[in-house]
Amino acid sequence: MSKLQTLSHQNMSRRDMLRIAGIGTAGAALAACAAPAAAPDAGAESEPAMEPVTVIATTSMPVNTFDNALDRSMERIPGIAMEVNANGWGEGGWDGYSDTLLTRIAGGEQIDVIMIAIEGLRLLTAKNVLVALDDFLAGDAPANEILQNDVHVTLREMLQVDGKQFEYPFSWNNMVMYYNTAIFEEEGLDPPSTDWTWDDFLETCLAVANVTGGADDRFAYSFWGAGMFGMAAWYFNNDVSPLSDDWLDSNLLDPKVAETVQFMADLILEHKVAPSPEGWDEWAQFHAGNLVMRTCGRWCIGGSLEAEFDTYDIQYQPHRAGPLKTVAGTDGWGVSTSSENPHEAWEVVKLLSDTDTSIDMVQLGGNIPALRSVAEMPVFSEYGPPSTALFYESLDFAATVPSPTNFNIVEPILNRNYATIWNGERSVEEALQAAHDELQPEMDKLKA
Amino acid sequence: MTSTALSEDRVDRQATPQRSKALARREALAGYLFATPALLGLLVFTALPIVASLILIFLHYDLLTPPKWAGAENVTRLATDSRMFKIYWNTLRLTVGVTLFNNVLGLLLAVGLNRAMPWGLRYVLRTSIFFPVMTTTASLAVVWRFLLTQDRGVVNFLIGQIGLDPVPWLSSSAWALVSAMIYDVWKSCGYLMVIYLAGLQGIPAVYYEAARIDGAGFWQQFRNVTLPLISPTAFFAIVISLIGAFQIFDNVWVLTEGGPGDASRVIAMYIYEKAFRGFEMGYASAVSFTLFIILIALTLLQFLGARRWVHYE
Repeated sequence: MSKLQTLSHQNMSRRDMLRIAGIGTAGAALAACAAPAAAPDAGAESEPAMEPVTVIATTSMPVNTFDNALDRSMERIPGIAMEVNANGWGEGGWDGYSDTLLTRIAGGEQIDVIMIAIEGLRLLTAKNVLVALDDFLAGDAPANEILQNDVHVTLREMLQVDGKQFEYPFSWNNMVMYYNTAIFEEEGLDPPSTDWTWDDFLETCLAVANVTGGADDRFAYSFWGAGMFGMAAWYFNNDVSPLSDDWLDSNLLDPKVAETVQFMADLILEHKVAPSPEGWDEWAQFHAGNLVMRTCGRWCIGGSLEAEFDTYDIQYQPHRAGPLKTVAGTDGWGVSTSSENPHEAWEVVKLLSDTDTSIDMVQLGGNIPALRSVAEMPVFSEYGPPSTALFYESLDFAATVPSPTNFNIVEPILNRNYATIWNGERSVEEALQAAHDELQPEMDKLKA
Repeated sequence: MTSTALSEDRVDRQATPQRSKALARREALAGYLFATPALLGLLVFTALPIVASLILIFLHYDLLTPPKWAGAENVTRLATDSRMFKIYWNTLRLTVGVTLFNNVLGLLLAVGLNRAMPWGLRYVLRTSIFFPVMTTTASLAVVWRFLLTQDRGVVNFLIGQIGLDPVPWLSSSAWALVSAMIYDVWKSCGYLMVIYLAGLQGIPAVYYEAARIDGAGFWQQFRNVTLPLISPTAFFAIVISLIGAFQIFDNVWVLTEGGPGDASRVIAMYIYEKAFRGFEMGYASAVSFTLFIILIALTLLQFLGARRWVHYE
């Protein structure tokens, strides 16, 4: 009797059963691990079709911004299968975005086209993640012509490192004051003027705030309490910056930094016209009329369009000292050094930066387009508040958001320490000293 | 085992020594084959990362450029990292808090649900208590942030209705960790409730009958019957909840992001920050190893201590 016959006996023992099951399971597992056999080639006789090259772009924006661009890509660049996916923001802004992006690249993920803003640009170039676009531009006169003549020099230069163009500008933002026009009217207040001061702003806050701790509380103003971009909007209007001009040192001990932060802390702690930023949903409260003013870029229009909220307008940030300034930051599209198809990636960069894609973004209430021609189109004013022209015209006196190579380290340090000011646990001086003590050694590493 | 199989097994044992050896080898082989998938998983996803992490301690590595030798720099840095010590202190407080409350509340809920009640009510209560366990942390945290925000938050509104001042749940260093603890207990105690409930349902009813005949009331039954007999379950629940609490990340991340400052930052967040924000894989590995050693030491201590209070039937 063969072994098989023994095992197939109807009075099989439990051990034998287990043995068979074990061998079967192991066999199945090994079979599953083995490479699958090649599928029969139905078209072996026919001419092999040209497969489109897949180019994957990653973005900070909602991916539906590029739905129409994907449709257009099939017609305009038929040899390229374009995909656009979203890169996570992590816990913060561009710092978290850059970290997520680098982790994805280090993990071997295919990313051919990268959207990054100036805040993360230096980190990415330092890690050799981006290809300089100068050679592409030199061989592509139309694209270069648009870059030189339809993109403001400030935006163009923001996306350069050591004189090389690493990103093709797509959109940018400044920070302006959004205010609820209905509440201003109700309170008998005139719209703020272009040159309004911090004193004017505080006076307005005190006039419109109604905070008693009840369900009808109305706050005058709220700010993020974190983020380089949001804070720079205030610093720049007091003629100071948290970093030195070359972005290589901390400037947190400058008395004007303390003055700025104290003014903002007082809005929460002394005047009680601003809420504690932690957990506060600025978007919902602004649209509900529980918040009268907020600082934001053009992207906040998107939320208002969705909420069908239109009783608002914008004005420049209030001013304290020095020349009138606005903070600005640009993002763009670049080609990844890990891309196996850089020329196709360049075609995608151009398509994702073109007029049609910029209009798509404008219509969704996204950023300000880098293309001046689009900002001058009626569609730009149509999808924005009455004073929407402020967005683009501020470029002539815009200062670049401080964006050192270690931006992803700097921003969390600042945010951690700001938080202890807003909750009143540390004085402005103590917190800024602590932030400086933590920040300066990190800045020194850049000089090593 | 059936009597037929048993007799056949007995015959097997009485066979020649050679045959017995061959059978033993085949049995061993079958056993190894059964264990292989689990062992492979353990090797690839646990053992190799541990070894890699151990090697990384002695390197400077930022994921994108080749690693450089660091010697003992990452280890010596641990001793001077005051942020790490503060964050370990947060982690310890959070761990003690959530382990204690999760287990006490989990046990109490299980005892409550183990009593006679209409099946519909039992079903609704069990589902309601277990529901947060099944829901994603991120979605729940959004709701909790709305509830706990200082200004215009629902909880503070209710507190205000009884004349109390608003509590800075998320923005104060004193309260942020407490908020994280409350959130974690609310979210996780349902899981421990299920474990304790399984343990309670494994206690034979005869013990309670005997206790009742001896005149024991509810509290005496709970103290002298339930607690000793559920002690193996409690030991398991405490060990897993303690290890889980030390590794808490997402609950705190989405609720307070570790703030204000570092007030609610826990060690898993710090390891993440060093690894994937600072791209200091070597130092992140060194911090991870401190956690690894602490967890092993605590688990060993628990096993040693268990001899005194865990009773197996």
